[in-house]
Parts: sequence; structure tokens; C-alpha cells
Amino acid sequence: MSGCKVLIVEDSRATRELLAAAIEVLEGVEVFTVVSGFEALKVLPRHRFSLIITDINMPDINGLELINFVKKNPHYRQTPLFVVTTEGREQDRDRGLQLGADEYLVKPFQSEILTALARRYLKL
Amino acid sequence: MARFDDLLNRFFYRADENVGAWLELAPEIADSIEELEELPEEFLAFELSTETYAVPIGAVREILKVPLITSVPRVAENVLGVMNVRGEMLPVYDLKQRLNLDSTPQRVAGPNDVPRETRVVLLKDPEGDAGILVDRVKGVVRLMLSKLEPAPTLGAERRAVAGLGRKDGQLYILLDVEQALG
Amino acid sequence: MPPPRALSEFVAEANEVLETLAHDLAVLDAQRGREPEPDLLNAVFRAAHSLKGLSAMFGQEKIAGLAHHLEDVLDALRLGKVQNSDALVDTLLEGVDVLTLMLREAAGEPANPDTHPRAAAVADHFARLAGGGQATSADVLDEVGIDPAIRAVFTEYEEHRLRENVKKGVTLWKVRAVFSLEDFDTRLAALNTTLKPLGEVISTLPSSQPGDDASIAFDLIFGSGRAKAEIEKAVEGVASVSPLTQKTISPARDAVPAEFTPAPRKPPPSALFLQEASAPDLPAFGGSSQSGVMQGAEPSLRSLAQTVRVDISRLDGLMNTIGELLTVRANIQRLAEVARQSGSTPLPKLWAQELQKESRALERKLDDLQNGVLDVRMVPLVQVFDKLARLMRRLVRQSGKDVHFEVAGGDVELDKLIVEELSDPLMHLLRNALDHGVEAPDERIAQGKDARGVIRLKAQQLGNQVQIEVGDDGAGMDETRIRQVAIERGVVTREATEELERRDLLNLVFLPGFSTRQDVSELSGRGVGLDVVKTNLSRLSGLIDIDSRRGEGTRFLLTLPLTLAIIRALIVGVGDRTFAVPLNSVTEIVSVKPAELRTIERHEVIDVRGQTLPFVRLARVFGLRETPVERHFVVIIGLAQDRFGLAVDALLGQEDIVTKPLGGRLRGVRGIAGATELGDRRAVLVLDVGALVEELKRPTAAVG
Repeated sequence: MSGCKVLIVEDSRATRELLAAAIEVLEGVEVFTVVSGFEALKVLPRHRFSLIITDINMPDINGLELINFVKKNPHYRQTPLFVVTTEGREQDRDRGLQLGADEYLVKPFQSEILTALARRYLKL
Repeated sequence: MARFDDLLNRFFYRADENVGAWLELAPEIADSIEELEELPEEFLAFELSTETYAVPIGAVREILKVPLITSVPRVAENVLGVMNVRGEMLPVYDLKQRLNLDSTPQRVAGPNDVPRETRVVLLKDPEGDAGILVDRVKGVVRLMLSKLEPAPTLGAERRAVAGLGRKDGQLYILLDVEQALG
Repeated sequence: MPPPRALSEFVAEANEVLETLAHDLAVLDAQRGREPEPDLLNAVFRAAHSLKGLSAMFGQEKIAGLAHHLEDVLDALRLGKVQNSDALVDTLLEGVDVLTLMLREAAGEPANPDTHPRAAAVADHFARLAGGGQATSADVLDEVGIDPAIRAVFTEYEEHRLRENVKKGVTLWKVRAVFSLEDFDTRLAALNTTLKPLGEVISTLPSSQPGDDASIAFDLIFGSGRAKAEIEKAVEGVASVSPLTQKTISPARDAVPAEFTPAPRKPPPSALFLQEASAPDLPAFGGSSQSGVMQGAEPSLRSLAQTVRVDISRLDGLMNTIGELLTVRANIQRLAEVARQSGSTPLPKLWAQELQKESRALERKLDDLQNGVLDVRMVPLVQVFDKLARLMRRLVRQSGKDVHFEVAGGDVELDKLIVEELSDPLMHLLRNALDHGVEAPDERIAQGKDARGVIRLKAQQLGNQVQIEVGDDGAGMDETRIRQVAIERGVVTREATEELERRDLLNLVFLPGFSTRQDVSELSGRGVGLDVVKTNLSRLSGLIDIDSRRGEGTRFLLTLPLTLAIIRALIVGVGDRTFAVPLNSVTEIVSVKPAELRTIERHEVIDVRGQTLPFVRLARVFGLRETPVERHFVVIIGLAQDRFGLAVDALLGQEDIVTKPLGGRLRGVRGIAGATELGDRRAVLVLDVGALVEELKRPTAAVG
């Protein structure tokens, strides 16, 4: 499967670049980055994403709300979604998974892990 | 794939690598590689009056036709002035007095004040790059570092000479740039 | 291989986060004693949180560790487990300072031996603060009954805010609005603004029910004691309101005013807006529904971030290019003029006119470009004012004096380079005001002043310049003492001081090696004198002036250009030399005939509208050959009583110039600020008028 699109939602510029770089090593993957939940809501209908990677702690709507939005919406519900966050709190983690996040990565983690997980979900 | 590797290299490093140390080491890596067999070093040779001087080719930034030179008040006599090198304002020096080749300071404001073969050799220097006015550029000469002679004692003024090289009967005076400009 | 670029990205962003954090903490500090605004607390927490994540991601374990402690304290604070206090803000600010130091070290600056112990002390302090006061009560949210599906998306903090609202006996509402995908963020912001006076917007939930592809529904979870009708009226035509909770709230824990009685529940009478149940079924994603607005507008986007960060050196590069373009344009203009005048046949003449017209259009566009780049370089002074406020806070505490620090005009913008360079001089002046200016409280009371002193830092823009005032209401300067010290230190002779007016006496403090106090207190700062402040400012083409009254206080006035990048300069000729004189330091230009010159003690002077000014020949100042002229052009430089007439042979016009420093070895030639290039690519020296005025003021710098 080539030409698949991955959406990264992350407000930290440097972290966003790190995540994008970890995904861009996968051949044929187009990476889209946005800086907030609102921006994510805007781009979701415009592209068919094969994977969404989101932070939890963001300025407008939090990542949990974004997960809920994606996973309850028949248009997007099939799209795999990873949470990448510093939020090590049990409660937030459990909620993320309950809401339907497919993977939950707590920073810091090795870029290879993200790359490997993405490869698996994108079936590359 | 190369592009992706490049991207990765730009953004990632492994946590066990110490960035600070790497950054410090980087510029020196090239210097620390030892030569097993001596190879000749390249020097740029040029004429000043009747003498032939040379500087390591690595110290030369570029060779310029004589540009317009603006004299600057309140500076040492050996400073001819500043020249505009693509927007950079760099000093131009006249070494002849310093090297006892001429007793009076020259006044050079531009190409019309000097013979056609005159050039400005722009030298790289940690204190700030600087140009020196030379009568003629002779070209590149290869000299063995181990064969260089120390500068003979000829009086206090000769401190700007770093050493002497000899090749095919020609004597090359190696310029101590730091001393010559100081 | 470790990528230096990634490290610099990290450092830049972490630095921004720390600056925001410091700013927000300053606001928090100002809200001491009140209940801090939830938004602010959350912002502060988020900043610490971001820093932790960012540092961890980039392998900066130590920074991540301390940021984690900071985050815990801030989390406890926003969850109401810790109270906002002086001591707390002090510790938080110390934390930010230590983090800044650690970040500098990560960026490759030499390690400071203090950093590690300070970090350990702060971490310890944070751990104690965060650990204390674990007060968790029974969950009131369970009692009021909120749809578990909605509760699932709340973060711990949002739940805390819900709880706080419930405890207050406030009703929780669900405010639903449907907006177009195009502009929902601005519409939501407007809705938030409408709701804010009525209560607290705790969370914004995008509705998981699909709308059509062009719109999206939001539920705002809103806590408000107002009646439903009132809220509905406020959001009329925009959103519908319904209660969030299943049950009405039992306000048993706190007494609740009668007006807070929750409104009876009934379904919102909203025909205008989509209810969840009535949302129409929509065609599947990717089907024909993709027609319409969204389809056509699909941008090829890589990132939607609206801002870019730019290294200031790149802007310098752009500025240089613009400077060179200005030169090129001047050349074209000249060629066109030559062609127009020498064209004997109509065709070239016509062509030259066209060229001239185009050249003028080019000039206008270059102006726009120049202003655009200048604009990008401008940053608000608040960047440095915030840092100074933090420093003052600490210094005031250490000094044992009672001082109110007043800051105004932080929104005034200046060139980034100037703002950076300002922090040291301003810090020095502020330290001076605290150390030498404001008296101890008992002394102040004895003089009938308010025990609490005032130190002001104020900026305002005046045309092309910015004026910054550093003032205090302290003891003022003692001229007698200044006179005495100046004579003792050999800065000036006794005879000379007798001729000095009050203002000149005050200005003696700017001379090298001057300090009115013998004991160098720790506060006055490493023995750096006001002379350094003055030198720093003149490097920025700035001027400094003092006004001081005994017993009333001292005021330093700094005048700075808005930008250093491109300046208007007067091009003058002396003999065969050409110089550029920055026009911002020229007050006027006059011309005199040699016969009109007078001398006083053999110093040449001229009369400019009744005022006698020293006449200084630039040729003599620079030791150049003088050529006889029929008349001198005199450029008047300097301020107030320190005005000089600088004589030149010719005025060659005005140009916009970019001053470039002279290369390494010629840096710091007295009286020369740098060089610029004019039409023929020749380097033209730019005068450092500030330095020249200083030099001319000193009696030793006799001309000739």
C-alpha cells in the first residue's frame, strides 16, 4: 500500500518535526502535520488518512476529545490512532485506550518504535 | 531512501550519545588524522618587490583584482583601507614597509593606481579576514614541510618570516601572516 | 550521528516555552491573594508540561526531570491542592531561572557550578510543595450524574474544574453550536467570549456525530449560575443550551444563594440548530458528498502552522540584499538620467523616460520590501521587560527595601537586535535605582515620603524613535558629591567643575571609572559603571540623559532608533573623500563662508541663529589634507548644549544605507561606525556621530 497519508497532531514544533521524521522514513507515506485539535478537525474531512498520531495536552480541544471524535465518527472510526504524550497518568492513559486509541506511547520513546508501529498499522 | 536517512540524521540521535562532546570534536576530526607518509603541502607564491613570498594555500580565501579601496583615518600606516567584497567590508594591507621592501607608504585607491599584475590576496584569519596587496601572483608551489628552513636571524624586523622553502632554485619566504598584519 | 540542527530546534522552542512560562508566572504573581484565573493556571501548567515532553523527546533528561517536578507543583496548584503564595511564586521563578541555565548548558554554553546545587534545591522544594495537601473529597461528579460517554473525554484537570463548579452550586450546561468547518475556530472563540462573563467554559467537545462535510457541531461544557433563559438569550441564534447533568445539583456542601437555583430541565426549543437525534444521515465519506466547497478548496498542505521562526542572521542577509538592490536602483536611476539628457534623438529619449518611470516603480516596491523586512524584525519590549521584572522582584526582596516596580509600554516594538542589547543597560540602571536611588523605608518616612518607593520602567514610541524611562522617586543625585568625586578621581579639574552647569555635572557620572559610592554593594553589580551603559547605548545609536532632583528622584531617559538595519544618511565630501553621516543624528545643516568664522581662545566657532557653536573641521578631526573652499557646509550634530558644527566641503545627497562593520582588525576605529556601499560599489565610511560628539566634548581631544 503506497501513497498513504498520516496526520500528526502536536503543538510542539520540535516534537512535531521529530515525529514527522520518524514517519517519513517509511517509503510512500505522505505526512501532514497540524498544531492543534481544531486544525485536525479542519483537515480530517479533506483527506483520507491511514493513520492519526496525536498528543493529549493541546491548547484548544484535548487529545482525548479528538480520539472520541475520531472513534465515534463512522467516517473515521476505522482509522488507526496513536496517542503520543508525556501524560503518564494512569487515568488519562486508560481513558485514551477506552476511547479507542490503538496505541499509547509515552514520551520519551525511541523513534524506531514509532516507525515500527506505524509500519505495522499501515501494513507496509 | 537517502533523503529519509538524511532527515533522520537531522532530527534524531540516540539518547546515549553526548551531543556536547560531539559538537566540540567535530571540527578537529580532520586535523587529527595523521599522515603516514609525508605529502608536499601547497603554498600560494607571490611577489613583493623583488622577493618571492608564500602562504599555505589553506589560508587563502580568494585572489582579487585590485578593487576600489577606501582609506580609513586613524588606523596604522600599513592599512591601505577597506574594500567591499560582495558586501563585506574588509581591510587591505600593504606589507612592503613591514617587510623593509619600501620606505614610504603607498597610497592605493583603486586599480588605476597600480600596475596591471597587482592583486589582492584575501587571507583567512581568525582575527578577521584581510587582504594583502601583492605585485604579482606566481601560482601554487608544493613544498615538503620537513624540508623547510627556519628563518635566519637578520635583525628584529624579520619577525614576519615564518621560514624558508626552496624548490627548483627559487627561494620562497614563508609569511607569518599574524606578524605581518600586526 | 547527533544532529546539531535538532538540538538547536529544541533549544529554540524550549526557550520560547520558558519565556512564556516566566511571563505567565509574573501575571500569576500579580494575582496573589485572589483566586487565580483557571485559564492562566492551565496555561502555566501546560507550559511546564510541554517543556517536560519536549526535553524528554530530545534526550535532555535533567531538564525533563526538573520540568516534571515543576509540572507536579503546577498541577497541584491548578487542582487546588496547593495555594498561590509569595513563597510558591518565588520557588517557581527560581525553577524557571534554573531551567534557563540548564538549557544554556544544553546549548553548549560553559557549565555554571551553581546550576546543579540550585537545581537540586529547587527539585527538593518542588517535591515538598507538590506532596503536601492531598485533599481529595468524595466525588461530587458521581452524584450529579453526567453522561459517562461525555465524562470519558475529560482530562483530570477538566474534571477538577467540573467539580469546583459543582461545589460552588453552579449548574453545568451543554451549549451546542454548529459551525462551518471553514471558520469554526473564530466562531468558537466568539462564542467563548460571549459566555465568559456568565460563567466558565470548562471544555469544548467536538460532537462525535458526523455532520455534513462542511460543518461540525460542538458541545461547550459550561458552568454558570445564571438562569437558562439568560444564557439562551446571550447565545441566541448561535447555540442552544441544555443541562449537562441528569439530576439537579445538591448544593449541600456550600450555602448557595437563591439566585443559583438551577433552572428546570426541558429540551431546548431549538429548531435552528441540529440536535444530535435529528442530525440527518449522511452519505459515507469519500462518496459523492465530497462535492461542494471543501472539494475545490483542498490545499496541498504540509503544515498548517501560521508562523515561522527565522534566525535573525537570515533577516540580516535579506536586509543586506535589499541594501544592494537600493544601490542597483540608484545606478539605474543615474543611467536613465544620463540617457535622458544625452539622448539627441527622440527614441532613446523616450526610452530613457520609460526607464526612469520603471525605476521609480522599483523604488516604491523596494520601499515596501524594506518595510516588510523591518517589520518582521520588530519584537515587543515585553520580552526584555519581563526578564527585568523577575530580576527586580528578587533584588527588591534581597534589598530589604519596599519598592513598587511599575512597568509600562511593553508592547512598544523595536528591532530584535536592539531589544537583545538593551537588557544589560536597563538592568544596570534598575539596579542603580534600587541600590542608590530608593531609600530605606524608615528614611523615607522620616522625609515624609510614602514608605514604599517606586521604580518605573516605561517605554513609548515617538515617531521614529523609542524613548525608555528608568525612574525612581528616591533620594536623587547629589551634585556636590558628584563634583567632589569627579575631582578626586581626576575625571575633571576643579576649575572645570566650576564652569559646569547642573546638567553637565550630572552627566559626569557617565565618564569612565565614576561611581558615587565607595562601598560597592552586591546589588550595584560587578563594578560596572554608567560609562558602560552609555557605551552600550551608543553602540545602538542611542542617547541617554539624566534628570535628577534632590529628594525627589532620578530619571534616566534613553532614546533609541526603532531599527538599526537601514538608515537614512547624508553623504558628504571632504577633499576627495566621501563619508556618510546618519541623518538621525543630524539636527540641521547650514553653510558658512570662511570669513564668517570667529574664534574663542583660538577655537573656531560659528553663529547658528544666535547660538554660538564650536566649528569642527572633519578633515582635521581625521587628519586629512584640507582643501580651501569658498564656503563650508556645516552639519550640526549632538544634543542640547553639546552641539557641534561639523564642517565638510560638499553635500552629495541623501541615501538609504545599510551600515556594515569594518572587518575584524579594523573594528573599533574611533569615530567610524562602519562602511556602506554606494553606487560605484566603493566602500564609504559611516561616521559614528555619538562617539565623535563624546570625543569633541573632552578637552583633551583638541582638534588639529
